[in-house]
Amino acid sequence: MKLSELLSEEVIIPDLSGNTKEEVINQLIDLFKNDSRVNDIEKVRIAVMDREKVMSTGVGKGFAIPHGKTDAVKDILCAFGKSKLPIDYQSLDSQPVHLVFLLIGKDNLVSMHIKLLSRISRMMTKDSFRDKLLLAESKDDILEIFREEEKSYFEL
Amino acid sequence: MITIDYLLLIGAVLILISIVTSKILDNIGIPTLLLFIGVGIIAGSEGLGGIVFNDPALAQSIGIVALLFILFSGGLDTDWRESKGVSAPAMTLATAGVLLTAFIVAAFLTIVLDTPFLWSLLIASIISSTDAAAVFAVLRMGNISLKGKLKPLIELESGSNDPMAVFLTIGTIELLINPEKTILSSVLFFLQQMGFGAIVGLAGGKLMVYFINKLNFSYEGIYPVFALSLAIIIYSLTAVIGGSGFLAIYIAGLVIGNSQLIQKRALIRFFDGLAVLSQIAMFLTLGLLVFPSNLIKVLGEGLLLSAILIIIARPVSVFISLAFFKYNIREKVLISWVGLRGAVPIVLATFPLLYGISNSNMIFNLVFFVVITSSLLQGWSLNLVAKWLGLSLPYEAKKKMQLEFSNEMQRDTDIIEIIVPENSEMRGKQIVDLNFPEDSRIILIVRNDKNIVPSGGTLIEAGDILTILINKENSAAIHDIISATE
Repeated sequence: MKLSELLSEEVIIPDLSGNTKEEVINQLIDLFKNDSRVNDIEKVRIAVMDREKVMSTGVGKGFAIPHGKTDAVKDILCAFGKSKLPIDYQSLDSQPVHLVFLLIGKDNLVSMHIKLLSRISRMMTKDSFRDKLLLAESKDDILEIFREEEKSYFEL
Repeated sequence: MITIDYLLLIGAVLILISIVTSKILDNIGIPTLLLFIGVGIIAGSEGLGGIVFNDPALAQSIGIVALLFILFSGGLDTDWRESKGVSAPAMTLATAGVLLTAFIVAAFLTIVLDTPFLWSLLIASIISSTDAAAVFAVLRMGNISLKGKLKPLIELESGSNDPMAVFLTIGTIELLINPEKTILSSVLFFLQQMGFGAIVGLAGGKLMVYFINKLNFSYEGIYPVFALSLAIIIYSLTAVIGGSGFLAIYIAGLVIGNSQLIQKRALIRFFDGLAVLSQIAMFLTLGLLVFPSNLIKVLGEGLLLSAILIIIARPVSVFISLAFFKYNIREKVLISWVGLRGAVPIVLATFPLLYGISNSNMIFNLVFFVVITSSLLQGWSLNLVAKWLGLSLPYEAKKKMQLEFSNEMQRDTDIIEIIVPENSEMRGKQIVDLNFPEDSRIILIVRNDKNIVPSGGTLIEAGDILTILINKENSAAIHDIISATE
């Protein structure tokens, strides 16, 4: 499994409209509102918000990786959004966030969830990757940047 | 008088010897099944052990039970996503391929040895299917994997071609002992075997997933036992209503292995172990059952039969079966070469003995001979052939789930995943210097797709995913540690 295979145009928002943490997380989660892979979207929301309470997933340098595990999904889901305007995310470095990657894991696929989390956090630590994403305009471009970057990585 | 204690002792010692020798001889590359048969032969009446075992009916029963677990476990381990796109060629090989193999071998035997056609067809049918257990034992031991879609193709083929061989064998026996039987009734019998097998397998697999997920057993150890009983029911029920139990159990395994299931890891492990035990027990038994002196008597015919099968019948049937699929010549050659015969033929070879077919002892010995030459020759050379054809890849150990945790029962502890931020104070520190509270632990670090088991001296890096077991009482203290930034 690869992150870029989990992403598709339907789950990319190139211009997030919210400017707080709650707004952007909800905007990304709402992408899955009518998705057959989700049994209970509210449970997903609770899982992600609960995780935020433990520690902000705004891990610095303008990106955030909200995530959570729940039994309310049939498969691992992810979504990506970016915003030109700064998002107040209560990041650990107190800087505003521009890039948000949402990962929703399934309760009994914990290992894969952690690996994907590790993958996205590793990719996001690369300055060139972040810069490319910040400049990208369309869903297509964003998808291509993920694919290109993940080429050098193994299948998980 | 042989007591149960005595039997247990013999059985356990033989299994122990088999495992130890397979460990010692690991590097030589002898297919393990041969090794186990070898131990059985040595323990047998003509070997050092002097154990007299001459009960084909018991051997057949052991073989059937063992096959049932081997096929179920094989299904559980098969990743359906990998098999996408190979099901059509695999099914063609498993049906038309097996049929072709049987008829080509039978034709050659009849012409060369001048034996009656039906009798030749019986032998040919018995050796017409390849053996999944044998093929994969060899692949795994040689530390190689095969390129592209070859591995799933061979996996699916060998897992699903046994019903065809069983059908051909039983069909031919019926024609032999009951000449009024017509070809039409045989064809109907085949359709019934396959149809019932597939339906019960699919439905049984789905039901099993449903029940396992639905029933909430408080004791975890119940799950494998529950699954075991259902698996046996799927096999036996199918067989009782006239379907192919082997096909049903393999399909049920496939369905379950590719569904979301609680306790999946525990189940896969349990059936893995059971499959290993089954293989050892089955080959030991078959080794005990064979008399080497009888094998030597059929040396000439045995070599001829092996040659016909390996050099002519298998390649011809593979090339014909795959004529309409996109495989190049090198791939077809390799698929032809991975036609290892294993347990199924030997188990099937006990059928003529039980039905009292003329010369059934000779059939048994011939089949045994073919299995041994096929595993020796093809098993031993498979790695070389794959490399020579440029189709081998380094073997990658099957990924299994490493972590399963359910915190529903325990309210005071929790497991969380933390991403180490760029500017975290934890960066570059050893775990021991983080001053974690006593009853909370970093239990796993995932870094660059690798799992690291942390110790006190492990250095934390930015981007690491820490899996932390926390006691909820001191979650505040943990929070301070993990969220501290420079």
